[in-house]
Amino acid sequence: MFRHHDDVMRAAERVRNGKLSRRTFLAAAAAAGFGAPLAEALTRTAPAAAAAPMRQDPPKGGQVIVGLSQEPTVFNPLKSTLEVDRGVQYAIFDSLWRVDPTGNLMPNLATEVPTVENGGISADGLTYTFKIRDDAKFSDGTPLTSADVLFSHELIMNPDFVPGTRVGHDQITEISAPDPATITMTIKETYAPFLYTWADTYIVPKHLLEGVEDPNTNDFTSISPIGSGPYTLAERKAGEYLTLKANPAYHGPGPYLDTLIVKYVPDLTMLFTQFKTGEVDVTGIQGITADNVAEAETLEGKVINKGATAFVEFIYMNFGKPVFQDLAVRQALYAAMDKDNIIGKVYYGVHTPTQSYLADKSWAYNADLEPHAFDIEGAKKILDDAGWAPGADGIREKDGVKLSFSNSTTAGNKVREQAQQYLQQTWKEIGVDMQINNMPAAVIWGDYFNKSEYDSVMVGWNNPPDPDAISRFGSKYIPAKGGAGQNTCQYENPKVDELLEAGVKELDQAKRAEIYKEVQQVLRDDLAYLPIFQYVFVEGTKAGLTNYKQNAFVPSNMWNVFEWYWEAQ
Amino acid sequence: MATVVADPENPESLASLAGLDPNARSRVDSPWRIAARRFFRHRLAAAGLIISLLLILSAIFAPVLAPKDPLQISILDKFVPPMTVGYPLGADEVGRDMLSRLLYAGRISLLVGFAAMLVTVIVGTVVGLVSGYYGGTVDAVLMRFTDALLSFPTVFLLLVLASFVGASLLSITLIIGLTSWMELARILRNQTLTLREADYVQAGRALGATNPWLISRHLLPNSLGPIMVAATLNIANAVLSESYISYLGYGIQPPAASWGNMLNNAQNYFRDAPWVALFPGLLITLTVASFNFIGDGLRDALDPRAGRRG
Amino acid sequence: MTAYLFRRLAQSAVLLVLITAIAFGLMRLAPGGPEAVYTLSPTIRAEDIARIRASFGLDQPIPVQYVKWVGGVLRGDWGRSYRDSRPVLEVIGGRIPATLELAGTALVFAVVVGVAIGVLGAIRPHSAFDYLSTIGAMVALSVPTFWFGLMVIYVFAEKLHWIPSGGRETLGAPFSLADRLNHLVAPALVLGLVLVAGWSRYTRAAMLETVNQDYVRTARAKGIAERPVIWGHAFRNAVAPLVTLAGLQIPLLFGGALVTESVFTWPGMGRLFVDSLGYRDYPVMMGVLVATAILVLLGNLLADLLIVFVDPRIRLR
Repeated sequence: MFRHHDDVMRAAERVRNGKLSRRTFLAAAAAAGFGAPLAEALTRTAPAAAAAPMRQDPPKGGQVIVGLSQEPTVFNPLKSTLEVDRGVQYAIFDSLWRVDPTGNLMPNLATEVPTVENGGISADGLTYTFKIRDDAKFSDGTPLTSADVLFSHELIMNPDFVPGTRVGHDQITEISAPDPATITMTIKETYAPFLYTWADTYIVPKHLLEGVEDPNTNDFTSISPIGSGPYTLAERKAGEYLTLKANPAYHGPGPYLDTLIVKYVPDLTMLFTQFKTGEVDVTGIQGITADNVAEAETLEGKVINKGATAFVEFIYMNFGKPVFQDLAVRQALYAAMDKDNIIGKVYYGVHTPTQSYLADKSWAYNADLEPHAFDIEGAKKILDDAGWAPGADGIREKDGVKLSFSNSTTAGNKVREQAQQYLQQTWKEIGVDMQINNMPAAVIWGDYFNKSEYDSVMVGWNNPPDPDAISRFGSKYIPAKGGAGQNTCQYENPKVDELLEAGVKELDQAKRAEIYKEVQQVLRDDLAYLPIFQYVFVEGTKAGLTNYKQNAFVPSNMWNVFEWYWEAQ
Repeated sequence: MATVVADPENPESLASLAGLDPNARSRVDSPWRIAARRFFRHRLAAAGLIISLLLILSAIFAPVLAPKDPLQISILDKFVPPMTVGYPLGADEVGRDMLSRLLYAGRISLLVGFAAMLVTVIVGTVVGLVSGYYGGTVDAVLMRFTDALLSFPTVFLLLVLASFVGASLLSITLIIGLTSWMELARILRNQTLTLREADYVQAGRALGATNPWLISRHLLPNSLGPIMVAATLNIANAVLSESYISYLGYGIQPPAASWGNMLNNAQNYFRDAPWVALFPGLLITLTVASFNFIGDGLRDALDPRAGRRG
Repeated sequence: MTAYLFRRLAQSAVLLVLITAIAFGLMRLAPGGPEAVYTLSPTIRAEDIARIRASFGLDQPIPVQYVKWVGGVLRGDWGRSYRDSRPVLEVIGGRIPATLELAGTALVFAVVVGVAIGVLGAIRPHSAFDYLSTIGAMVALSVPTFWFGLMVIYVFAEKLHWIPSGGRETLGAPFSLADRLNHLVAPALVLGLVLVAGWSRYTRAAMLETVNQDYVRTARAKGIAERPVIWGHAFRNAVAPLVTLAGLQIPLLFGGALVTESVFTWPGMGRLFVDSLGYRDYPVMMGVLVATAILVLLGNLLADLLIVFVDPRIRLR
């Protein structure tokens, strides 16, 4: 039934997905300073024509039912950035440009993506100017102009409004819309992910939202959103489904489907069942769980899409707890982690092992990290040598500290709980006592995690396009010690601090890559976390549905519903 | 979710449901002997008693009976089907022996069942007797509180409480116990209201007996019948509740097994390995049905009018 | 009668205040909060979390929050959902029909089957039918509902494809009664089965009681046929406690509906509650609890009033 605790957690984790680097690049030429593959791609943006599907005249008509294990509830795209809401927002709203699966930016509402070359970005990288296409309209018929773009920014910064995020927008010092087609803005200092900020900023209608009594709670947000996107929300049956109808006024290309139904199926197993029986055509967001992948691949009339993600599964250890402060303990724990069986048996071999916090497709990924070797005897020896001697109960201890701690994850994540139990057993063999203490998402990802109250957690963490990780591992970013970052494991290492700070100041990508490779090396040697594997997402679609494209740069693969269509069977 | 249903507005019907008859003591034969005879004439109740005794014994002797360590994970034996060598009832999702796990799980499930029943009986008895004996404001306050709790579906209460305290054997026991005492309290309260007017209680009071003495010497013994019935039915109820809490994700933490959390894990796998879901579900049903039958039999046996019922 | 009604309503109001105070306190004291979904957002800062909590009024002391909530409810404002910011009454109102449809069907099923079994069992006590139906009803009462539901889905939806695996209707298809019934039948039977035992047992007991009463014997002695004796005389007098039973079964029905709705992804109040609990959507949780409590209290009251009509011997005080 409801595995939605798990869902909430996964949702939350995927929200990290959108994690933007807050670092600034001080490069004079913004384009040259773009470090991430995404940013790098900005200089080679595809022409608008490339957005069109391969086929010139896709057949129109039909309906697609997308099954989601969470319920989309917030339709104001500036208010919620949760992946579940994003999926529907992609259908109803537009942003200035989209990120395609290769990391290219494709213009949507803007006529082209600004670059230094095309004059859209000033030579100092601080002023951005771009044009809005003249045929864009909201579904109520009102033309979409630069005033709406300006308004969307102002709403985000409105102190009475609780936006999904202000990051990026808070860099803007000046913004104006001199004419209905033009918008120009200036930012404080060069900020590499700025174009990405706008790729993820969906334009809302000024004429409907200006002057509403309460910008946070209104019908626009909950029941009657109006956007310029390929579909419009026709019906919302809370707890059941949303019906979206093709927007005939869409500036195109697409949409090709008549109807897009987003169905809420609160359990992933049930979702898979409904996919098998044809009650849903697409398994959205979390897709098909590892234990069902083998069966999914035998299904007739279904397409199984597999895509590597930037998600990495870790054990996070809280360095505020004495037991984890000894490197020998961390080394022994890692050596006694049977990755082959965790990945091969528990996760049915779907995912790939990793040693880094970064995804292997990152340009900064260090492929030369020492591989992991499962070695129970070696682990025991490490602990013996370090003076951790078994007590009467078989649990090791040293200087009054017992080698005993708890491990937590979101209750209801069945497969992960198996891995957890398997770890518990192998660690017991080396004299480590790990208790399992799982809790619902609303509890574990609250203060328990953010204020470093845990001993250790098992968590999947998504990587932003940029390799920067200062807010995760920098000693100034520990929330429990007053820092503003996400270093809840309270990791402190002067060498890592130094490298990460150098990394964000360095402009040259090749040099940055060297710095981050060293960061990965230090973190691997010091075992700041225990990396387990990198996720592969498996999603099913009914055969005939064309243009379903997995995209690791966006939180939901409904990012391109405008170009989905049914190929005649 | 077995519940003792009685008509609260009608103490007569409550007394009959609860098996109470103040005149029972006047009979020649010991009422307990009569009750025992009646109970064993109730064949389903006797069967329930035998089955539940077997289940309890198998839980107690789990360490002797279990062929394997119930926590031993053998990842290579994941979902080995029943009747495989070494796995008479198959293996679960991480290759643990189902038979051993079911035996040990019985310990936790039955322990929760009995412990929660104790909580229920203690709270229910105290509230019921105090409320009925003192009457007046005490009664009004306690009964309104009882009514308030009765107005929530139990599952709602279980869920809210479980999300509150976090999962442990103790917390789950308390949660179940504290959400199921209300029926008993009402039955005892209504019965006590009539009993306290009985001659021997009035006489005791006239002779200067203290309130606690009267409650413990006269009212409590007369309430043993309904308490026993409620206790039995509450064991069934608690075993079922434990499975619901586990199902809803707030149950006993792994790797320890209870029938409820075995079932919770299994729901995702029963397509691949139906036995993983089948056996714990069957055992829960068997246990709950057995205790319900015993409770039924007890009720009939302790109700003097039951004899007339054909 | 009017005085009785008035007193009962006053009592119910006092109960509601108690109920809401208990529920409110429990929920707000529980760890976690609605901001957890957002606190994991990578770009969120401490001040954002504070702003979210403040926008929900969670920065105030619990008693103040409670008084505010009560004040709102008295003005007809039950607050807004934290999740989709719609008014709570609207959110719940959208779910009540689904729950009533499911619970009502289940109750009818349980009453018809349960009463039939009970009467037949009472006519021939200790017959094979009596034993088998008693065992059957008890087993039905003892089965974990969610497990039984999962088994039903596995066998009838996945293996046999007789029924859909969940939901209330086929999406994208025009309304069809057959389709709705097809979705309804499995969850309603699963939910109803739990209640059958109660009905059959009490019908049987009540019938046994009345069958041996003098007036029934007299009726028999007068040569009235067996069928009219059973239904006209005996059953009529056994109905009163059964009406009370219907009232008392309401909490059980709603509790069962919560589980059944979860298993069959039925979009009713029960699942709304489970979802809201996961998100810590306090206003909706409170709304569901209060709505349920009102239904329970009204149900009990209605049952007590109905008794007067089915059993003229009873007078309300």
